[in-house]
Amino acid sequence: MADALLADEPVVRDGIAIAWTPPAVRYSLRTRVPSGLPRLLASARFADGHALALGPDEWLLILPDGAQPPTIAPLHALTDIGHRNVGLTVAGDRAAALIQCGCALDLSLATFPPGKVTRTLYDGVEIVLWRTGEAEFRIETWRSFAAYLHAALALAADDL
Amino acid sequence: MLLIHCPYCDEPRPEIEFGYAGEAHIARPINPDDLSDAEWETYLFVRTNARGRHFERWRHVHGCGRFFNAVRDTVTDTFERTYKAGVARPGEADSWTGDTGGIV
Repeated sequence: MADALLADEPVVRDGIAIAWTPPAVRYSLRTRVPSGLPRLLASARFADGHALALGPDEWLLILPDGAQPPTIAPLHALTDIGHRNVGLTVAGDRAAALIQCGCALDLSLATFPPGKVTRTLYDGVEIVLWRTGEAEFRIETWRSFAAYLHAALALAADDL
Repeated sequence: MLLIHCPYCDEPRPEIEFGYAGEAHIARPINPDDLSDAEWETYLFVRTNARGRHFERWRHVHGCGRFFNAVRDTVTDTFERTYKAGVARPGEADSWTGDTGGIV
Protein backbone atom coordinates (compact mmCIF):
# COMPACT_ATOMS: atom_id res chain seq x y z
CA MET A 1 0.00 0.00 0.00
CA ALA A 2 1.80 3.08 -1.23
CA ASP A 3 -0.77 5.57 0.00
CA ALA A 4 0.84 8.12 2.30
CA LEU A 5 -2.32 8.43 4.37
CA LEU A 6 -2.46 4.75 5.21
CA ALA A 7 -0.16 2.98 7.64
CA ASP A 8 1.80 0.14 6.05
CA GLU A 9 2.22 -1.98 9.14
CA PRO A 10 -0.19 -4.88 9.58
CA VAL A 11 -2.10 -4.78 12.86
CA VAL A 12 -1.57 -8.06 14.73
CA ARG A 13 -3.40 -8.86 17.93
CA ASP A 14 -4.33 -12.11 19.64
CA GLY A 15 -6.23 -14.07 17.00
CA ILE A 16 -6.48 -11.10 14.61
CA ALA A 17 -4.35 -9.82 11.74
CA ILE A 18 -5.40 -6.76 9.73
CA ALA A 19 -3.45 -5.97 6.58
CA TRP A 20 -3.86 -4.04 3.33
CA THR A 21 -4.30 -6.17 0.25
CA PRO A 22 -1.74 -5.96 -2.55
CA PRO A 23 -2.65 -3.73 -5.53
CA ALA A 24 -5.40 -5.16 -7.74
CA VAL A 25 -7.49 -4.21 -10.74
CA ARG A 26 -11.14 -3.62 -9.87
CA TYR A 27 -14.14 -3.23 -12.11
CA SER A 28 -17.78 -2.52 -11.43
CA LEU A 29 -19.80 -4.68 -13.82
CA ARG A 30 -23.47 -4.03 -14.49
CA THR A 31 -25.38 -6.39 -16.75
CA ARG A 32 -28.76 -8.08 -17.12
CA VAL A 33 -27.09 -11.10 -18.75
CA PRO A 34 -25.48 -12.87 -15.78
CA SER A 35 -24.09 -15.87 -17.68
CA GLY A 36 -20.94 -17.18 -16.03
CA LEU A 37 -21.38 -14.86 -13.06
CA PRO A 38 -22.24 -15.80 -9.47
CA ARG A 39 -25.70 -15.32 -8.02
CA LEU A 40 -26.54 -12.49 -5.63
CA LEU A 41 -24.45 -12.55 -2.41
CA ALA A 42 -22.08 -15.20 -3.82
CA SER A 43 -18.58 -15.07 -5.27
CA ALA A 44 -16.85 -17.12 -7.94
CA ARG A 45 -13.60 -17.36 -9.84
CA PHE A 46 -13.67 -15.10 -12.87
CA ALA A 47 -11.00 -14.24 -15.45
CA ASP A 48 -7.92 -14.96 -13.23
CA GLY A 49 -9.60 -13.16 -10.34
CA HIS A 50 -12.96 -13.12 -8.63
CA ALA A 51 -16.44 -11.83 -9.32
CA LEU A 52 -18.48 -10.76 -6.30
CA ALA A 53 -22.23 -10.37 -6.75
CA LEU A 54 -23.33 -7.24 -4.87
CA GLY A 55 -26.77 -6.72 -6.43
CA PRO A 56 -29.16 -8.48 -8.82
CA ASP A 57 -27.34 -6.89 -11.76
CA GLU A 58 -24.16 -5.62 -10.15
CA TRP A 59 -20.81 -7.36 -9.70
CA LEU A 60 -17.46 -6.28 -8.33
CA LEU A 61 -14.57 -7.82 -10.26
CA ILE A 62 -11.23 -8.08 -8.44
CA LEU A 63 -8.48 -9.09 -10.84
CA PRO A 64 -4.69 -9.39 -10.45
CA ASP A 65 -2.63 -6.22 -10.79
CA GLY A 66 -2.06 -5.37 -14.44
CA ALA A 67 -4.93 -7.50 -15.76
CA GLN A 68 -6.62 -6.46 -18.98
CA PRO A 69 -10.38 -5.78 -19.06
CA PRO A 70 -12.16 -9.16 -19.18
CA THR A 71 -14.29 -10.30 -22.08
CA ILE A 72 -17.96 -10.23 -21.15
CA ALA A 73 -21.17 -10.96 -23.05
CA PRO A 74 -22.71 -7.96 -24.83
CA LEU A 75 -25.06 -5.53 -23.12
CA HIS A 76 -22.99 -4.65 -20.10
CA ALA A 77 -21.34 -1.66 -18.46
CA LEU A 78 -17.80 -2.13 -17.17
CA THR A 79 -16.28 0.68 -15.12
CA ASP A 80 -12.73 0.77 -13.80
CA ILE A 81 -12.98 1.59 -10.08
CA GLY A 82 -9.41 0.60 -9.19
CA HIS A 83 -8.58 4.16 -8.16
CA ARG A 84 -11.58 4.30 -5.82
CA ASN A 85 -11.30 1.11 -3.80
CA VAL A 86 -8.80 -0.21 -1.33
CA GLY A 87 -8.85 -3.64 0.25
CA LEU A 88 -8.15 -5.00 3.71
CA THR A 89 -7.80 -8.55 4.90
CA VAL A 90 -8.92 -9.48 8.38
CA ALA A 91 -7.76 -12.96 9.35
CA GLY A 92 -7.54 -15.06 12.47
CA ASP A 93 -9.70 -16.97 14.92
CA ARG A 94 -11.34 -13.79 16.15
CA ALA A 95 -11.72 -12.09 12.76
CA ALA A 96 -15.50 -12.54 12.73
CA ALA A 97 -15.76 -11.26 16.30
CA LEU A 98 -13.75 -8.19 15.34
CA ILE A 99 -15.92 -7.35 12.33
CA GLN A 100 -18.97 -8.00 14.45
CA CYS A 101 -17.86 -5.05 16.62
CA GLY A 102 -18.98 -2.59 13.94
CA CYS A 103 -21.22 -4.60 11.67
CA ALA A 104 -24.80 -5.61 12.43
CA LEU A 105 -24.89 -8.66 10.16
CA ASP A 106 -24.95 -12.17 11.58
CA LEU A 107 -21.48 -13.49 10.70
CA SER A 108 -21.97 -17.02 12.03
CA LEU A 109 -20.85 -19.73 9.61
CA ALA A 110 -24.46 -20.87 9.11
CA THR A 111 -25.68 -17.54 7.76
CA PHE A 112 -22.43 -16.12 6.39
CA PRO A 113 -20.44 -19.08 5.03
CA PRO A 114 -17.12 -18.78 3.20
CA GLY A 115 -17.65 -17.37 -0.29
CA LYS A 116 -20.55 -15.16 0.71
CA VAL A 117 -20.19 -11.48 -0.05
CA THR A 118 -22.34 -8.43 0.52
CA ARG A 119 -22.24 -4.68 0.72
CA THR A 120 -22.92 -3.50 4.26
CA LEU A 121 -21.77 -1.00 6.86
CA TYR A 122 -18.93 -1.12 9.36
CA ASP A 123 -19.15 1.63 11.96
CA GLY A 124 -20.96 3.90 9.49
CA VAL A 125 -18.56 3.20 6.62
CA GLU A 126 -19.91 1.44 3.55
CA ILE A 127 -17.89 -1.71 2.90
CA VAL A 128 -17.99 -4.80 0.75
CA LEU A 129 -17.57 -7.73 3.12
CA TRP A 130 -16.36 -10.97 1.59
CA ARG A 131 -15.73 -14.10 3.62
CA THR A 132 -12.80 -15.78 1.89
CA GLY A 133 -12.37 -18.50 4.50
CA GLU A 134 -13.79 -19.66 7.81
CA ALA A 135 -11.48 -17.28 9.66
CA GLU A 136 -10.61 -14.88 6.85
CA PHE A 137 -12.42 -11.85 5.46
CA ARG A 138 -11.65 -9.35 2.75
CA ILE A 139 -13.08 -5.85 3.10
CA GLU A 140 -13.26 -3.44 0.18
CA THR A 141 -13.99 0.19 0.86
CA TRP A 142 -13.64 3.57 -0.75
CA ARG A 143 -10.21 5.15 -0.48
CA SER A 144 -11.47 8.20 1.38
CA PHE A 145 -12.95 5.97 4.11
CA ALA A 146 -9.97 3.64 4.34
CA ALA A 147 -7.87 5.44 6.95
CA TYR A 148 -10.87 5.77 9.26
CA LEU A 149 -11.96 2.19 8.73
CA HIS A 150 -8.46 0.90 9.45
CA ALA A 151 -8.26 2.99 12.62
CA ALA A 152 -11.70 1.78 13.73
CA LEU A 153 -10.74 -1.86 13.17
CA ALA A 154 -7.42 -1.42 14.96
CA LEU A 155 -9.15 0.25 17.91
CA ALA A 156 -11.74 -2.52 18.11
CA ALA A 157 -8.93 -5.10 17.96
CA ASP A 158 -7.26 -3.42 20.93
CA ASP A 159 -10.46 -3.62 22.95
CA LEU A 160 -11.60 -7.09 21.93
CA MET B 1 -32.56 -2.31 15.76
CA LEU B 2 -35.19 -3.41 13.28
CA LEU B 3 -34.51 -6.22 10.89
CA ILE B 4 -35.95 -5.59 7.44
CA HIS B 5 -36.36 -8.42 4.96
CA CYS B 6 -34.86 -7.41 1.61
CA PRO B 7 -36.88 -9.16 -1.12
CA TYR B 8 -33.87 -9.19 -3.46
CA CYS B 9 -31.23 -10.44 -1.01
CA ASP B 10 -34.03 -12.61 0.46
CA GLU B 11 -32.76 -12.35 4.02
CA PRO B 12 -33.33 -10.08 7.01
CA ARG B 13 -30.87 -7.21 7.17
CA PRO B 14 -30.20 -4.50 9.75
CA GLU B 15 -32.27 -1.36 9.49
CA ILE B 16 -29.21 0.92 9.10
CA GLU B 17 -28.55 -0.55 5.64
CA PHE B 18 -31.84 0.87 4.35
CA GLY B 19 -33.14 4.24 3.29
CA TYR B 20 -36.77 5.35 3.36
CA ALA B 21 -38.10 6.64 0.05
CA GLY B 22 -41.65 7.85 0.61
CA GLU B 23 -45.06 6.40 -0.15
CA ALA B 24 -45.26 3.57 -2.69
CA HIS B 25 -47.51 3.03 -5.69
CA ILE B 26 -47.72 6.67 -6.76
CA ALA B 27 -47.65 6.57 -10.54
CA ARG B 28 -46.44 9.62 -12.43
CA PRO B 29 -49.25 10.86 -14.68
CA ILE B 30 -48.72 9.75 -18.28
CA ASN B 31 -49.42 13.24 -19.59
CA PRO B 32 -48.79 15.97 -17.00
CA ASP B 33 -49.89 18.69 -19.46
CA ASP B 34 -53.48 17.38 -19.27
CA LEU B 35 -53.67 17.86 -15.50
CA SER B 36 -55.14 20.81 -13.70
CA ASP B 37 -53.00 22.61 -11.14
CA ALA B 38 -54.98 20.95 -8.35
CA GLU B 39 -54.44 17.48 -9.79
CA TRP B 40 -50.74 18.14 -10.25
CA GLU B 41 -50.49 19.41 -6.69
CA THR B 42 -52.19 16.22 -5.51
CA TYR B 43 -49.69 14.09 -7.41
CA LEU B 44 -46.73 16.03 -6.08
CA PHE B 45 -47.64 16.67 -2.47
CA VAL B 46 -50.74 14.91 -1.18
CA ARG B 47 -49.96 11.66 0.58
CA THR B 48 -51.97 9.10 2.54
CA ASN B 49 -50.29 9.89 5.87
CA ALA B 50 -51.76 6.63 7.15
CA ARG B 51 -52.15 5.88 10.80
CA GLY B 52 -51.50 2.17 10.72
CA ARG B 53 -50.88 0.10 7.63
CA HIS B 54 -48.78 2.08 5.16
CA PHE B 55 -47.39 1.17 1.74
CA GLU B 56 -43.98 2.66 1.31
CA ARG B 57 -40.80 2.50 -0.73
CA TRP B 58 -37.50 1.56 0.77
CA ARG B 59 -34.06 1.21 -0.73
CA HIS B 60 -31.42 -1.28 0.36
CA VAL B 61 -28.90 1.47 -0.20
CA HIS B 62 -25.99 -0.06 1.74
CA GLY B 63 -26.70 -3.54 0.37
CA CYS B 64 -27.92 -4.65 -3.03
CA GLY B 65 -28.94 -1.09 -3.90
CA ARG B 66 -32.48 -2.01 -4.95
CA PHE B 67 -35.70 -0.14 -4.36
CA PHE B 68 -38.54 -2.29 -3.05
CA ASN B 69 -41.91 -1.81 -1.38
CA ALA B 70 -42.95 -2.56 2.16
CA VAL B 71 -46.13 -2.63 4.22
CA ARG B 72 -45.34 -1.12 7.59
CA ASP B 73 -47.59 -0.21 10.48
CA THR B 74 -46.83 3.42 11.31
CA VAL B 75 -48.14 2.97 14.86
CA THR B 76 -46.20 -0.11 15.91
CA ASP B 77 -43.35 0.24 13.37
CA THR B 78 -43.91 -3.42 12.48
CA PHE B 79 -43.03 -4.51 8.96
CA GLU B 80 -45.90 -6.68 7.76
CA ARG B 81 -44.14 -7.70 4.56
CA THR B 82 -41.78 -6.49 1.86
CA TYR B 83 -42.07 -7.17 -1.84
CA LYS B 84 -40.23 -6.38 -5.04
CA ALA B 85 -40.82 -3.17 -6.95
CA GLY B 86 -43.33 -3.65 -9.74
CA VAL B 87 -45.46 -6.16 -7.84
CA ALA B 88 -49.10 -5.15 -7.29
CA ARG B 89 -49.80 -3.92 -3.81
CA PRO B 90 -51.18 -6.55 -1.46
CA GLY B 91 -54.51 -5.94 0.27
CA GLU B 92 -56.24 -2.66 0.94
CA ALA B 93 -54.39 0.41 2.12
CA ASP B 94 -55.12 1.94 5.50
CA SER B 95 -57.08 -1.02 6.81
CA TRP B 96 -55.75 -0.50 10.31
CA THR B 97 -57.95 -2.19 12.89
CA GLY B 98 -56.95 -0.15 15.91
CA ASP B 99 -54.72 -2.87 17.33
CA THR B 100 -51.50 -1.19 18.39
CA GLY B 101 -49.90 -4.42 19.56
CA GLY B 102 -49.60 -3.02 23.06
CA ILE B 103 -47.64 0.04 21.92
CA VAL B 104 -49.38 3.38 22.47
